[in-house]
Amino acid sequence: MEIKGKATEKESQSPKFTLPVDSEHKATEFRLLSVAAPHMRAFHLSWVSFFACFVSTFAAPPLLPIIRDNLNLTATDIGNAGIASVSGAAFARIALGTACDLFGPRLASASLILLTAPAVYFTSIASSPTSFLLVRFFTGFSLATFVSTQFWMSSMFSARVVGTANGAAAGWGNLGGGATQLIMPLVFGLIRDIGALKFTAWRIAFFIPALFQTLSAFAVLIFGKDLPDGNFRPLQKAGAKPKDKLSNVFYHGITNYRGWILALTYGYCFGVELTVDNIIAEYFYDRFDLKLHTAGIIAASFGLANIVSRPAGGLISDAVAKRFGMRGRLWALWIVQTLGGVFCIILGRVESLGASILVMIVFSFFCQAACGLTFGVVPFVSRRSLGLISGMTGGGGNLGAVLTQLIFFKGSKYSKERGITLMGVMIICCTFPICFVYFPQWGGMFCGPSSKTVATEEEYYLSEWNTEEKEKGLHQGSLKFADNSRSERGGRADSETRPADETPSAYV
Amino acid sequence: MAARALLLASLVLSCFLLPACYGTVLFSSLQRTLEVTASPTSGQVLKGGVDKITVTWGLNQTVAAGTDSTYKTIKVKLCYAPISQVDRGWRKTVDNLKKDRTCQHKIVARPYNPANSTAQSHEWTVERDVPTATYFVRAYAYDADEKEVAYGQTTDAHKTTNLFQVQAISGRHVTMDTCSICFSVFSVVSLFGFFYNEKRRAKRPQ
Repeated sequence: MEIKGKATEKESQSPKFTLPVDSEHKATEFRLLSVAAPHMRAFHLSWVSFFACFVSTFAAPPLLPIIRDNLNLTATDIGNAGIASVSGAAFARIALGTACDLFGPRLASASLILLTAPAVYFTSIASSPTSFLLVRFFTGFSLATFVSTQFWMSSMFSARVVGTANGAAAGWGNLGGGATQLIMPLVFGLIRDIGALKFTAWRIAFFIPALFQTLSAFAVLIFGKDLPDGNFRPLQKAGAKPKDKLSNVFYHGITNYRGWILALTYGYCFGVELTVDNIIAEYFYDRFDLKLHTAGIIAASFGLANIVSRPAGGLISDAVAKRFGMRGRLWALWIVQTLGGVFCIILGRVESLGASILVMIVFSFFCQAACGLTFGVVPFVSRRSLGLISGMTGGGGNLGAVLTQLIFFKGSKYSKERGITLMGVMIICCTFPICFVYFPQWGGMFCGPSSKTVATEEEYYLSEWNTEEKEKGLHQGSLKFADNSRSERGGRADSETRPADETPSAYV
Repeated sequence: MAARALLLASLVLSCFLLPACYGTVLFSSLQRTLEVTASPTSGQVLKGGVDKITVTWGLNQTVAAGTDSTYKTIKVKLCYAPISQVDRGWRKTVDNLKKDRTCQHKIVARPYNPANSTAQSHEWTVERDVPTATYFVRAYAYDADEKEVAYGQTTDAHKTTNLFQVQAISGRHVTMDTCSICFSVFSVVSLFGFFYNEKRRAKRPQ
C-alpha cells in the first residue's frame, strides 16, 4: 500500500476536501479504495498500524510448540503469558483514550507503538518463562492503539458512516491476529530452511513484526493528521480547537453508565476474540494432532474472518440506524453477540476436525461483527470524552480476555473444549446488560425516547459542559455533533432538521 | 461342522486381533524383552549439540527362544521422564501408542535379525533441538507391519531410576542480542526526534 504525495488542502478558512463533508468537516462518505487526505489516508494509516500491533502481540502463539521447548515452559507459564499479553492493554487503552482527547490520535498512537516496539525486539532474546511473560506483557500494551483508531475514525467520519469506518479500521487491524498465525510459521519455516536451528529461527522471525511495527508508526507520524482541519497542536495554538482539561474529560467519561455497560459487553465479544487468538492454534495442534503449519492456517482463519465480519458489523449498525436509529443499533448488537455465544458453545462440543473448523468460522463471524456493532454505538455515548469512553470500552475488551483466560484457560483445570463451551455461556450472560442502555433522546432496546420536550441531542451532549464553559464557547464542537447526530432518530427523523450541506451517503 | 467351528473360532479370534489390525497398540500389552543401556550416568547433565550418548540394545537372554521372531526393526528413542511431563500436556504418556507423546526424539533405527543375537550399539550426538529436560532411553521393536511388539528401557517400570538431563542450547547469538538492543534504542530515540521536530515546526512562523 503506497501513500505518496503531500496533503493538498491548506489550513485556511475553507479547506477543500476530496470527500463530501459535514459542518465539522467530517466525511459523510466512506470510500474504501481511496487514499485521499485527510479522511481516507487516516483510515489506511490507522488500520495498518493497528494491524502491525496485532501481529506483534499474537506472534508468539503459533510458534508456541517451539518456544515452549526452548524456554522450558509449562502449561501454566503459557497460560500466564497469554493473560499477560492482553492485560496490559486493559489500562493502557484508558490512558490512551485520554491521551487522544488531550494530544490527538496521531501522536498518542505513534508514541505507544514506538515505545512498545522494544518489547517485540526483546522477545528474540527471551530466555526463561519470566522473560517470556514480561515481553508478552509489554508487547500487549500496543493493542491500546485500537482506541486511537476508533477516536481517529470518529473524528474523521460523520454519524452516517462512523460505524462502517470504525468497523473497517478495527476489523482490518484485528486481521493481524489471524494473519500472524500464518505469517509467523511461514517466516519461521523459511528461516529454518535457510539453515538456522529451530531454537534460533523463531527468534529471528520476531524481527519481522517488530520492524513492521516501527515502520508503521513512522508512517502515521509523517503522513497522518489528527482532524480534517489539521493537527491538534497547531489548531490549539490558532484557537480553532479548545484545549480540554484531563480532570473534566475523566469525570464526564466515568460518570456515564453507558460506557461501563459497553465495557462489559465488549469484554465478551472482543475479549473472546483475543482469548481465541491465544488458544486456538495450540487447541487444534494438540487435539487433532495437526502439523504446526496446518494448525496455524486453521487458527488464522478465525482472525482473518475480520476482513469482512467486523466491517460488516459496522455496516449493519449504520444500516439499521437509517431505519430504526439508535434502538436498531442496540438490538442488532444484542442479537449478533448472543448468537456468537451460542456458536461458541457448539464449538466446544463438536468432535470432528471438519465440523470444528466450520463452527469456528461461523462463530468468528458473529463474535467479530458484534465488535463492529459495539463501535457503532460508542461514538454517541459522549462527545467531550469520546476518547475516554472508547478507551473504557476497549479496556473492557481486554479485561474480558484476561478474565476469560484466567477462569477457563489457565493450567490444566478444564480441557480446552470444556473451556470453550463455558466461555460461550459466559458470552450470553454478559451480553444481557445491553438491555439497560438508554438514551433519553433516542430510547433503548425496550423503551422509546423520553416524551419530555427537553430530551434532545443538544440537551444530552451539552450536559457535559457547565455554564462557565459554555460562556467561553468551549461547547461548540459538541453542538455541531449534536446537530449531526440527529440521524440516530431513525427513519422518523424530520427532514427539516438535516443540515443543508449534508449530502446523502453512499455505501461502498 | 468343523468348518463352521473354524469360522466361528476365527471370528472370535479376529475380535481380539482387530485392535492390533486397526493400529491401536497399547503400551501395557508390550513385553519388555529388550535390554537397553545408555552411557549417561544417573543425574548426568548433557549439553545439546555437544555431548554424545552411546546406546546399546539387544534381546534379553533370559526370554524364551523364538520370542523375537517377529521383530524386524528396532527404534531407539529419547523419552521424557515424568518430572518433565508435569503440567505439559504435549508430552503426556498415554497407553495408546498412537497418541502417546512420551518419546518424541529418535536416536536411531536399525533392522533386527533374530539369527544374530549380539547386542548392537550406536553413538549419538544430542541434537540441538532437544529441549532442556530429564530423559531416559527406550527401544521399541517393530514387526513387519510397523507395529510395536516389544520394548526395553534404561529405567525401571515407574521411570524413576537412572534418569539423566539434557541442557539445551539457548538459540541466542551475540549478533541477535546486539540487533535487538540497537533497534529498540532506535525506535525510542526516533520518537523523541519526531517530537522535537514537531515542536520546531510549530514554533516556525505560519
